[in-house]
Amino acid sequence: MAGEILMPKLGLTMTEGLLAEWKVAPGMRVRAGDVLFVVETEKIATEIEAPGEGEILDLLAPAGATVPVGAPVARWTGEAAAAPREAPAAPEQPAPAAPAPPRILATPLARRLARERGLDLAGLRGSGPRGRIKAADLPQAVAPAAPAPPAAALPLDRIRATAARRLSQAKREIPHFYVGAGADLTRLLALREEWNALPGAPRLTLTHALLAACGRALAQAPELNRVWAEEAWLPLPGAHVGLAVDTPQGLFAPVLRDAGALPLEELAARADALVARARAGALTHEDMAPASLTLSNVGMHGARFLVPIVNPGQSMILGVGAVEAVFRPDAQGAPVLRREATLVLAADHRVLDGAAAARFLGRVAAILEQPLALLRAPAAGG
Amino acid sequence: MPELRTLQAITRALADAMEADPSVILLGEDIGQAGGPFGATRGLQERFGPERVRDTPIAEAALAGAAVGAALTGLRPVAEIMFMDFITLAMDALVNQAAKARFMFGGQRGVPMVLRTPHGGGLSAGPQHSQCLEAWLCHVPGLKVVCPATPADAYGLLRSAIADPDPVIVVEHKGLYAMKGELADPPEWTPIGRARLARPGRDATILCYGAALHWSLAAAEELAREGVEAEVLDLRSLQPWDEAAVLESLSRTHRLVIAHEAVEAFGVGAEIAARMADIGFDELDAPILRVGAPFTPVPFAHPLEAAWRPDAARIAAAVRRTLA
Repeated sequence: MAGEILMPKLGLTMTEGLLAEWKVAPGMRVRAGDVLFVVETEKIATEIEAPGEGEILDLLAPAGATVPVGAPVARWTGEAAAAPREAPAAPEQPAPAAPAPPRILATPLARRLARERGLDLAGLRGSGPRGRIKAADLPQAVAPAAPAPPAAALPLDRIRATAARRLSQAKREIPHFYVGAGADLTRLLALREEWNALPGAPRLTLTHALLAACGRALAQAPELNRVWAEEAWLPLPGAHVGLAVDTPQGLFAPVLRDAGALPLEELAARADALVARARAGALTHEDMAPASLTLSNVGMHGARFLVPIVNPGQSMILGVGAVEAVFRPDAQGAPVLRREATLVLAADHRVLDGAAAARFLGRVAAILEQPLALLRAPAAGG
Repeated sequence: MPELRTLQAITRALADAMEADPSVILLGEDIGQAGGPFGATRGLQERFGPERVRDTPIAEAALAGAAVGAALTGLRPVAEIMFMDFITLAMDALVNQAAKARFMFGGQRGVPMVLRTPHGGGLSAGPQHSQCLEAWLCHVPGLKVVCPATPADAYGLLRSAIADPDPVIVVEHKGLYAMKGELADPPEWTPIGRARLARPGRDATILCYGAALHWSLAAAEELAREGVEAEVLDLRSLQPWDEAAVLESLSRTHRLVIAHEAVEAFGVGAEIAARMADIGFDELDAPILRVGAPFTPVPFAHPLEAAWRPDAARIAAAVRRTLA
């Protein structure tokens, strides 16, 4: 008797998974709970366990292949058409130290050459068995004295390759439109300075306030908390907000759960921990909860505004530019010094239209402009 | 260069050594009048007399012990054991006497003896007449072990072994006795401890000895049709072995496959693989692979024996694996 092991669906909008690594080989006997393979979706590697006992007969998809959800990846003697389980996520346990970054598989020669050429193996993709990096996978050495040769193409690692593919798909398939607004942050920034000057107060950043504003705006308009999925609207529970994090491994967008329901202090602590996990390469599947909205704040780099691409599987993304000092006329026409930032909301037109997006953006700006309200815990249930 | 069979090259080496040095004598079962079980000593008793070409009883322990004693007292005996399988009976003389004497007696005496013996299968000779036991001997400090794969090396290594001041085991392959090859005139000696580049290549090194040389060359030919240039290195001398040549080849090809007919587990290939994983670590672009016989006695039935022995296809498959 032979059954099939299928690519599991690990998220509401997951349509395919990258089979990153096999942990079993044909002929191996496995028991329930044994790790069969590793799936990389979006930005997360997830270990997939055997749902029961059986012997692996053959592997139908090689490591490195992208496999649609529900397609067979292996044949085994166990239960027919088994969709294996995702390994139980660990975040409920008392948090141990951040797990070690994944081991890089490389041959000794490749390691020596990389050392000699000052290359980082972490950014390379291996063509050998199990994705092992071989000497041939290294970019060619560049002789220092020689005239600059035509730039050698740098192969992408899995994370960046996946991101490139998914973002191209998003930009191609999602009918984007954009609404922009200036938000007056004068009072918010003053409040923040005062708060951060309080002895013992946790440091509050503009990003924390933006996350809170996005979450609360979403909680106030639950009808917008939805995404496009297979020709239908899929409502999402909870005012979760994604946060774009720039890391040495690439761009990650982990999700802050219940951003719309958390008191500001609690939100700040959780957001800081989330960013730390992203930078350490220690994100778990729990950090990738379904969300309709992501925040991308590039203001600290001085850009005036950002017109972002909606993350695959989501319907909105808010780009935030740098805070600028500007003069605005007051009611009498006299110039008043203000500190403003430009917000650009990119949205999926299949899910919401211009008026809804503009209303949503106005709500975010209004929350930012009433900073005292941010200090109050959000009303229960939004 | 004239062509001749391996067996004729061995006979020639024995005759030339006896001609050159009157202290060289031969000992073995049926080596005199009968000319040896495979014919390696044919004509030598007629030529050099029964004093120097001695038939012994069917008692391997006795003939090996006599060779040790003769060597300690000034002769250069060349003993023959009919099948390597029977070397079990001669182990005390080899391991505890021949290998130890120089070290135990303050270097006053060496044991300049040679023990010739054929190993290997392919003749459907069964589990007690087909074994390749050379790894046992390579493990004993004080013994040298060589294994020629061509008529030229059968001659050259035997001459070097007879001239060596210490005990040397010359492992021949009975399946190669009839193989023809060239022999220079006058024939050249092959130094002990030096490998031979049998076929240059750039993509992977196949290190082999004995009959495996010919499978390796066939594998390299097959791989060349796929665009893979495998280098074939004939080890020739197993103890001491040419570490520098293996490392040099590995440093060019970055991939190593070690092939021998002997059982793979705990074999000569295991030693070389371990050593290269150490001194050659930074050169490796793939795991070192071994191709040897499975861990079971040599089957008697011909089809089973054929399946048991390594061959060109298995060596080529291993090379492809290192290139994956």
